[in-house]
Amino acid sequence: MSTSLWRTTRFAISTVCAILVLGLPAIAGQETAFIRILRAEVLANGFAHARDLYVNPDEPLGSVGKIIFESKKLSLNGNIACQTCHLTNFGSADGIPNAAAIGGTGEGPKRLLSGAKLLPRNTLPFWGRGGKGFETFFWDGKVDFSHGKRISQFGSAPPSADALVTAAHLPVVEVREMLEEDPFTRAHMRESVKDSAAVYRAIVLNLRRFEPQASDELAKRLNKSPEALTYTDFARALAAFIRSEFQIRPTKLERFVDGKESFSPEEIRGGMIFYGKGGCVVCHSGRYFSDFKFHAVAFPELGFGKNGFGVDYGRFNVTFDPKDLYTFRTPPLFNVEKTAPYGHSGSVSTVQEAIVAHFDPLRLANLASMDSLGRHDFFVRMTLCSETANTVGFLEYDDVNDLVKFLKTLSF
Amino acid sequence: MPLRARTSSVLTILNIAALSVVFFVFARQFVVPFIAERIYKDSYKELMFKCDNVMRDHFIAKNRVLASPSDEAIKILHAAEVGLSTCHDYDMLRKRLISLGVSENELSKLGLEAIEEKANDVHFFVENHEIRY
Repeated sequence: MSTSLWRTTRFAISTVCAILVLGLPAIAGQETAFIRILRAEVLANGFAHARDLYVNPDEPLGSVGKIIFESKKLSLNGNIACQTCHLTNFGSADGIPNAAAIGGTGEGPKRLLSGAKLLPRNTLPFWGRGGKGFETFFWDGKVDFSHGKRISQFGSAPPSADALVTAAHLPVVEVREMLEEDPFTRAHMRESVKDSAAVYRAIVLNLRRFEPQASDELAKRLNKSPEALTYTDFARALAAFIRSEFQIRPTKLERFVDGKESFSPEEIRGGMIFYGKGGCVVCHSGRYFSDFKFHAVAFPELGFGKNGFGVDYGRFNVTFDPKDLYTFRTPPLFNVEKTAPYGHSGSVSTVQEAIVAHFDPLRLANLASMDSLGRHDFFVRMTLCSETANTVGFLEYDDVNDLVKFLKTLSF
Repeated sequence: MPLRARTSSVLTILNIAALSVVFFVFARQFVVPFIAERIYKDSYKELMFKCDNVMRDHFIAKNRVLASPSDEAIKILHAAEVGLSTCHDYDMLRKRLISLGVSENELSKLGLEAIEEKANDVHFFVENHEIRY
């Protein structure tokens, strides 16, 4: 190569390098500013350390609660345990769109295909349940003790002042979920205190018969005789176990906030989208990244739906207020990457799709495969999603991926 | 060394220096801006689109607070304000391109191209329309 050619080449290379490198100091400075903004936004929007979220008034009952949680005898006649649908390997849920309850065998997808009776909604994970400030339960908030409220199916006399203990009373008496329909259940399938008390009494007798050691231990710890045990005692034990086993633990976000760990550029960008143009923070704020309010998001519907024919009216089923049609509780986001599939009917399988459902639901809707009622229902839900549409900004493919990277910092 | 030879080598050095200056000026004025524009054209258009998008969101959020103030509206406005950080990337790239010699005119042209990219839809529609009828 001649000298002049070599010089020209060298000049060209250095020119290109200069173009690429000139902006680097500026980019580095910008990232430092974004780190400061992000940290401030996290703190300003209700962030709490994991250690400050744990509360467990019945902690000594936790070991008994574990046995009850794993026992299929908690189900009066359905041969199913809490653990059947709340599995560690599926992020404390079951990994399938609609819960596969009684009548099946195995776990997760295997159970779904084994002929189990399906429930209309996606199994919720347990992370943080019953922690400080976590008092709104189920997709439609049918148990809600937040802000001094006492909403539950027990009317003005809930079995406990503890929302999680009250919530633990519901699945065991839900037909198809943990209760098989037989002459006994049919005889008591009425909304009366007397009938529900009879079912709870039968469950307690079942547990005392088949889990005698756990029952005796529970009675001992509560300082009462085994004969005096009520279902609420077992529910307290269950709640103690759930609180301890599924408590929120320190996350990468927590370490970032404390200055103990740094974020990658993608995680910073994702965080800026979460607290910025994505508008996620408007609903996913507070200690558990949920406002515990009810919002409509036009997720595709999967399965037969709580209201039948593929329709699920959501919160309306609890309040009968038309304003609540198609609304569901904002899901908390801890460990969200582990709890697929997403949405109240589990109709989307990735976090990316779940995000897309908030700002571009038509991308996920297979209109051609919907029947006319399905399309009408989808249209109605779209019109009722105006609040979400006004909140969540337009995001591009890379934005969604960055957002997912940020959400993964909420895992532990 | 004879004087003539010395003069000749000085002139050669001066020639090379002059040529280098000319080459440098030419590169700075034409080559660098040309390459920079080619490299960053698409990113610039994309960032311009993103910035425009968050600015519109912010404008709407601000007007929502004025029209119907509520905690929710204020939350949305605050998120929209944080969202304006997207424009920082656009501003940075714009300044970088200007410092690399890309003219304001060229940048305006890129901006117009970005805004009018949807115009292709109209061409597509007209072509189909003509074919069909």
